[in-house]
Order: sequence, then structure tokens, then C-alpha cells
Amino acid sequence: MMPVIRLEDVSKVYPLPFGDVVALDHVTLDVEKGEFIAIMGPSGSGKSTLLNMIGCLDVPTSGNLFIAGRSVREMDDDELTDLRRDTIGFIFQTFNLIPLLTVRENVEYPLVLKERRRDTWGRSEELMAKVGLEESLAPHKPSELSGGQQQRVAIARALVNNPAILLCDEPTGNLDTKTGTVIMDLLTGVNHQGMTIIMVTHDPRIAEYASRTITIVDGKIA
Amino acid sequence: MIFFQFAQRSIRLHFLRSLLAVLGIVIGVVAISSMGILGNSLVLSVSESLSDVGDTIVVFPHAGMGSGMGTGRVNDVITERQIQQISRAVGANDIIPLHIGADRIEVGGETGVATIYGMYTDDIPLLLDKTDGIYLRGTGGAMAGKRLVSDFDLKVGSRVSVGDATLRVVGLLDERGVGFDINPDGALIVSERWYSAVYDEDDFDQVIIKVRDINDIDAVKNAIEMQLNKRDTVVDVFDTRMILEMIITTFNSISTFTTAIGGISLLVAGVSIFNVQMMSVTERIKEIGIIRSIGTRRYEVMRMFLYEAFLLGFAGSAIGGVLSFAGGYLALIVMLEGNTSFLFEPSSLIYIPYGMLFGIGTSLMSGVYPAWKAANLNPIEALRYE
Repeated sequence: MMPVIRLEDVSKVYPLPFGDVVALDHVTLDVEKGEFIAIMGPSGSGKSTLLNMIGCLDVPTSGNLFIAGRSVREMDDDELTDLRRDTIGFIFQTFNLIPLLTVRENVEYPLVLKERRRDTWGRSEELMAKVGLEESLAPHKPSELSGGQQQRVAIARALVNNPAILLCDEPTGNLDTKTGTVIMDLLTGVNHQGMTIIMVTHDPRIAEYASRTITIVDGKIA
Repeated sequence: MIFFQFAQRSIRLHFLRSLLAVLGIVIGVVAISSMGILGNSLVLSVSESLSDVGDTIVVFPHAGMGSGMGTGRVNDVITERQIQQISRAVGANDIIPLHIGADRIEVGGETGVATIYGMYTDDIPLLLDKTDGIYLRGTGGAMAGKRLVSDFDLKVGSRVSVGDATLRVVGLLDERGVGFDINPDGALIVSERWYSAVYDEDDFDQVIIKVRDINDIDAVKNAIEMQLNKRDTVVDVFDTRMILEMIITTFNSISTFTTAIGGISLLVAGVSIFNVQMMSVTERIKEIGIIRSIGTRRYEVMRMFLYEAFLLGFAGSAIGGVLSFAGGYLALIVMLEGNTSFLFEPSSLIYIPYGMLFGIGTSLMSGVYPAWKAANLNPIEALRYE
């Protein structure tokens, strides 16, 4: 069976006026379903580029990238967008909730994009409960919530379309240690239920939650 | 739909600047609609005051041409021979030659100046309607136009001194309004024999042809031109339909022009919407990055911003549409001296939905580029934007 993520000799080159910048240099990587991978490495090493690539926000300059068995190299923007919506959940360091929407609407948003209708069957409430958000928070705007609560909303939003992969970019970077631990416990729980997680982190203590750690240096897996 | 909610909330969040953009559209819509209503009312008002129905051909001596061909006369006239030529050209249609002059008149000590039309008495019923008395038959009588009747308090039987002669009013004419052929409201109609005798004038000043079938107008006109203007242009031939069309066209052009001036304010409003939308996009770059990264397609982002432009345009157009009644009313009070009866004509009212459509259209067009820009942002760069 094909791995849920496969990178075959993937490179990403950014052409700049003063010379090309190689962000990823012939990276080959397989990620099996249910793995929890931490990506570490110094700043500018290519961690974020790798995460963006797996998140279908960017496409490789060369090499092949397969997400859930589909090659993304030749996909157009709409196909990449749909793949992000249906197969990938994103969790960001700065939570990145939509300020115009309420908590419940934020959680519901990817589902509305996918189903083209509002969530009338209680999926959003179910996920809010799962990540430990009180129902009374549903009508609040994200700005009225604490950092930990916002990250819980982001996790619920990332899970609402039941994606195959969860991508986390420094998920505890903006949280205190205690709240960070709670969030990591939550992610571990999701991983134990079979979700594949790729997490970029600087923090070795957070990386310990992962089952495998990959270190990137100068665009290559060290 | 969730994108519509985005648009509504974004507008609510920036209420003041949205309100100002809406105000621009309101002004634009009111300007376009009011100017349209005013222009159309002008056209209607002019059309109403013109009495001709378009079945009339008018022949004038060619301006600057010494008619009578070599007679050495200075005045432009149509000779008896030319009348016969016209008569041959028009066939069975009625031909009405006219002498036209002006003279001092006196009625019971009151004096004034009146236009004097000299006509063959048989022709008078073809051209004019009476309200009282009888149609002129002999040479000693006259018929009086409506304005003359009221100015001089004329009645059937009144005596009017014209120059050295005296005429008895035998009939009073109905009001006719401004015409392209003759304007009898301020005139006395006298017999051709009386006119030629008193003013020593055998040639005519104008010939009117009443065409029985309106479809023959062009054919009759051509026949007259062929008969008389073969070598030189001796007469000018106009049909009232053409003149009417020219006037209406001119007023329509004025109407279009004034509406276009109104359009300029809508253009300014469009720039304001564009500005507001560009601000909205710039402020929400990060948000666009977020929604793109979690699966929002480009066209959905575009729709979100177009909804916003539409809502601004719709609100402005709806308010503008209502205020256009007042705007149109005011414009008519000022320009048509208080005559607002044309405001409720369908051809006037249609300018309100027109104005509203232009308002919404302008908003949408102004919103296209910002929306396109938002939709085509690179999600990675947008996410990094602070």
C-alpha cells in the first residue's frame, strides 16, 4: 500500500535576481498512515517549505510528491485547493482563525466549503466537545478567546472534514508550557485514533511527542 | 451562504467608510435618475406643445434665392407658376398656399401687432379648427386665433382694423400650439383675395401640403424636389415629421448629455468603492491566506469581495432610487417651472431603475479588480503577511 505522503527526489528552487535559492534539495521521504512526525532544523533550513509542499500550498520544482496516493505536481490551483480542503488539516503557530466568523462558524467553515451547506447534523459541536471547548463559547469571536482556546478551535476546524493528514506548524509556539502540554496531549490523542500528523517544531520537548523526528539542514534530510 | 456573511460582516465592521462609499453611489444614482427624468420630461413637454402629427409638408422659398427667377425681386417668394408645379407634383393631396405678413391691428381703441395669414377660403377648414362662428367665406371677414381672442376680447361679429381696412370676425379658431407650418394662435386669417388686394402681393410665402397617406410623405417630397429643384435649389421642402424628429433628437441628445453629467458623479462613486475594496483586501491579506490555505477556491474569494461591492452598490442604489423621486421632482420644479406632471410618466420613471442598475453595475465593476487581486494572492505569502 502506498504511503499517505511520498516525496520522490523533491526539490524546490526559488529563482531570485541574485541567484537561485534551493529551499529543498532532492528530498525523498515516505510517511505511513498514522505516523506522528516531528520536523526539526535551524531557521531557513527548509522546514516550512517542506510543510507547505506537503500542505499543497506549493508545488515541487522537480521530483514527485504524492498526497493520499495522488500526484500533486500536475494539479491546477482548484485541484490543489480541493485536496487541501478534503485531505489536509492545518494548525498554525498563530492559530489563524477567521476574525469575522464566530467560534462555531470557524470550526464549521471547511465543512461548508466541502458540503456547500451549513452543518445541521452537529459535527461542529461534536468536535468542539472533543477538543474541550465549552458550548457557550460557540457564538464568540476568536479575539474573545485565550490562546489555548483559539488553538483548540483551530484543531477542531482542522479535523472537521476528517482529513488524512494534520499539518502543524509550531502548534505550541504561542502558548505557555501548561497549555502547550494540553494541546500536545490533544494532538497525541488524535494521532492515536489513526490520524497522520506532521509537525514542525523548534522545541525538542515537543518533538518527543512524535514517533519519528526528521531533521532538515540546508534543504536536505540530515 | 457563508461568503455573503463574510461580506455583510466586513461592511458592518467598517461601517463608516462603507457608509461613505454608499453615499457616493446614492449621489450618483440620484444624479443619473434625476437628470434622466428631467431630460425625458423636457422631451415630453416639447412634444406635447408641438401640435403637428407629421402628415404635413411645408415648402419655403430657398433661403437667399431671388425667387421668381430673374424678376429682380429681393424677397423670397413662391410664384403662381411654382404653385402649379407643386400642384402637379403632389397629385391628389391637398395643397395650401399662404401669404404671411404682419400688421398693426386695432380693436375698440386697443392696438397691437398680429400675424396675418392670407389663405384661399376653401383651404381654411383643411388646416384649422374653429370653436365659434363660421369658416371664412367672403373677402370682408377674418378668423381670429385663440391668443388674439383673449388679448383683444374678440367675439364673433367684432370689428378689427387692419392697417387702413376693417374686417369683421366671423369665426374664432381653436388653440393650436406651436406648429412648424403656421402658428395661428396670435394671428388673423384673411382671404387670399383680400390679402393680395390690400398688400398688393400675388406671390406666396409658403405652401403647405397635407398628405393623405402618411407613408407617401417621402414620395411627395421627392416629387416636389424633382419638379422645382432640378437645376437650382429654388425651394426648401420640409416635412413636419422630420422637423419633429430633429427636435426630439436634439432634446434627447440634451437629455443624454445631462444624464452623462450625472454619470460622472457615479464614476466618482465607483472610484470610492474601488478604494474601499482595495483597503478591505489589503487589511485582510492574512485572512485571505488563511481561507485559501484551508481550502477556499480562488473564485470563492473573488465572490466574497464581489458580494461586498454588490452590497454597497445595492444599498446605495436602493436609497438613491427612493431619493430620485425627490431629485426628479426638484429638477422639474426648477427647470420646468413647477410642472411635475411628467414625473410619473413611465418613460420618466424608467430612469430610476436605470440609475439603480448603473449604481449596482458601477459598484460591481469597481469591485472586480480588488476581488481579482484578493483571489490571486499567493496563499503562502498572504499567510506570512502581518
